[in-house]
Amino acid sequence: MSARHPRTSTPCARDALREFGAGVSSERRALEPPLAARRTLEPPLAARRDLLRAGAALSFTSLACGPRGRAIREDGRIVVPFWYALGDLVRKVLLDLVAQFNASQARIVVRPVHQGDYFEALAKLRTAIAAGVAPALSHVVLEVLPYLARAGVLEPLDGYDGAAALPLVPGLSQEGAFDSSTRRPLWGLPFNRSTPIAVLDGTLIEQERIAVPSTWDELAAVARRLTRRESGQVRWGFEVPISWWYWVAMVGQAGGRLVDDRGQMTLGGEAGEQALAFWQRLVREQKVMRPPPGRDYQAWQSTSESFLRRRVAMMWTSTALLRYLEESAPFPVVAAPLPRKLRWSVPTGGTMFVLLRGAPEEEKIAAWEFVRWMCATDQAIAWSTRTGYLPVTRPAVERLREGGWYGAHPNDRVAYDQLEHVDPWPWVPELFRVERDAVEPRLEDAVLTGRDAHETMTEARQQARRTA
Amino acid sequence: MKPRAAWHPWAMLAPTLALLVVFFIVPIGVAAYESLFSWDLLTAPRYVGLDNYRALVARGELLDVALRTLGYSALVVGGAMSSGLGLALALDRPGRLFAFIRASVFSAYVISWVAVALLWMWMLDGDDGLVSRLLRVAGASSSPLLGDPRWALPVLAVIAAWKLTGYAMVVFLAGLQGIPRALLEAAALDGARAWARFRNVTWPLLKPTAAFVATTLLATSFQAFDVVRITTQGGPAHSTELFVYAIYEQIFLDLRVGRASALSVVFFGLLFSLATLQLRAWRARASMRHAA
Repeated sequence: MSARHPRTSTPCARDALREFGAGVSSERRALEPPLAARRTLEPPLAARRDLLRAGAALSFTSLACGPRGRAIREDGRIVVPFWYALGDLVRKVLLDLVAQFNASQARIVVRPVHQGDYFEALAKLRTAIAAGVAPALSHVVLEVLPYLARAGVLEPLDGYDGAAALPLVPGLSQEGAFDSSTRRPLWGLPFNRSTPIAVLDGTLIEQERIAVPSTWDELAAVARRLTRRESGQVRWGFEVPISWWYWVAMVGQAGGRLVDDRGQMTLGGEAGEQALAFWQRLVREQKVMRPPPGRDYQAWQSTSESFLRRRVAMMWTSTALLRYLEESAPFPVVAAPLPRKLRWSVPTGGTMFVLLRGAPEEEKIAAWEFVRWMCATDQAIAWSTRTGYLPVTRPAVERLREGGWYGAHPNDRVAYDQLEHVDPWPWVPELFRVERDAVEPRLEDAVLTGRDAHETMTEARQQARRTA
Repeated sequence: MKPRAAWHPWAMLAPTLALLVVFFIVPIGVAAYESLFSWDLLTAPRYVGLDNYRALVARGELLDVALRTLGYSALVVGGAMSSGLGLALALDRPGRLFAFIRASVFSAYVISWVAVALLWMWMLDGDDGLVSRLLRVAGASSSPLLGDPRWALPVLAVIAAWKLTGYAMVVFLAGLQGIPRALLEAAALDGARAWARFRNVTWPLLKPTAAFVATTLLATSFQAFDVVRITTQGGPAHSTELFVYAIYEQIFLDLRVGRASALSVVFFGLLFSLATLQLRAWRARASMRHAA
């Protein structure tokens, strides 16, 4: 049964584009020639006509839509609002790059607005979309990209100038990061991309003459050797946030996949249970792993702090934190690939740049200019080397390699080499709900209370199937 | 004073009524309406009837959150009231030292919840926190209390009670200072010791104050959000997911407007029922006093 709701969530500008697209689905429209024409601020003639028509449609609807109908200009430059969700060092690097872009040309000015962490930013973005005041540019975590694409709020990027020719690193592009069995429009471009990685206290492993663990069994053995209990205080051998991302890595390592060939949400089946049982063993039986307090990014932060204060000898974290850890630790930081059980496997993480469909056309085109600029080799290198996020284009990787960057920074090399073992995410619109509703609370519960892994994951699978 | 026209009182009340309608009645009505839809703010809402309520009940979420919130509130109200009353009795004395202590205790109430939460997180840190060090000295395990599903909720209640004690103390002090000294002196002359004076004179006269403190603390503890958001984010394993935080999770993290609205409606109903019970108890006591 369905009923009309008094408020519509569809921004007016999007309605205009929908009318303009004559009822063709957003996914198809993105692949068809008229809109696939190159979109630039100085478009070729055919595209200019399309743009004029779109512009006319937008200005018509803007009468009813308020301020977001037209782009804002400042000293003749188009203002591109850019909502971002990064903090600390990464935020500083981003703001530096934005300032560099703004200083480099006279037509566009990007206005970055900090919106909290990823999920806070997403909540605000969603509210802004519903209110018809979405920014032209933002970035979203991979798990919500399919959801936003299905909701029709993202701008397909295929038709933008140079989109098809961007030399992206395969594992980090939308095509490589997601199951690519179905052809779909380009909804996002890689921005701050990462993988999980193991990080060890270099002094300790040298003192103890320990080799970095490459299997789960070795990991448990190393954690045992590095755990010390003295006068009531513990230096833990291993720490990792009990969270979805790391669990997904272990599901892959144990030979599983979240979704089977028939599209059924299996959560890795037995592999998912083995991953959970392994954590339980380390925490509850062997007592060599410290589950960090707090949830989400607080747990991540707590893990890093424990490592930097030498309360933990080895942890799993994100490649994004490599530079921060190297600069903050009073000891050498040694990165290693995540260990395998049956095979090597890591998911990718971080976010993709997205353009919001409801934003004025001019702003979107201007936002695209900025995204392209960020993907240019110089910026991709600056972003990666200054933060620890992975370089997103092949020329950037080549130049880093030729310039001896990886020789001088072996931790970055480890992070990049892990991309060979990326397991793509399934394109499941409800994936983030499976994460938040079905899996993550149960992982935490089972690790902390010792609830049976099989029973826990069976329940999680049932819930995930209901959700997805 | 008699109004000159029947509509004059309504005109006087209009600004307040307008605010009440716009910011309280209408939002509750909208939440009740939206609880009948499945909606994520992005796609068109779909009418689902009472499915959101059924889902909350079927998954046990509603009962869990309600019991957790009631348990937390009981600890906060009980803790803050008893410590506030104890401090008020101990500090109801003249002198600069007592004034300084009263101000110190009350200062916790003035500090923002965020600052209080951060302070306690630092004190409860499993490795270097003051509490952990004391526990180690006492020979107990120093595992992080906020990371333990058995302890996280009581610890949060202790934090909230600590912050609200100053408020309870100040209101009790006002109540104590309203009790005529002559009554206590008469009881003392009759040979009543301190406990007997408190039980038979002070407490009966403090009951209206205690009822006021209990009601306001109940409402405050039901609205707990900041302290949960900063310290535990509802974890570990949902053990600190209280009503307001659960609503926040549903709407902002899980993108479920309908289910969050359903939780809000139940939350409103629960608070409304508790407030009604409280009011009836007050009225019953008042009418008994009149009858006596």
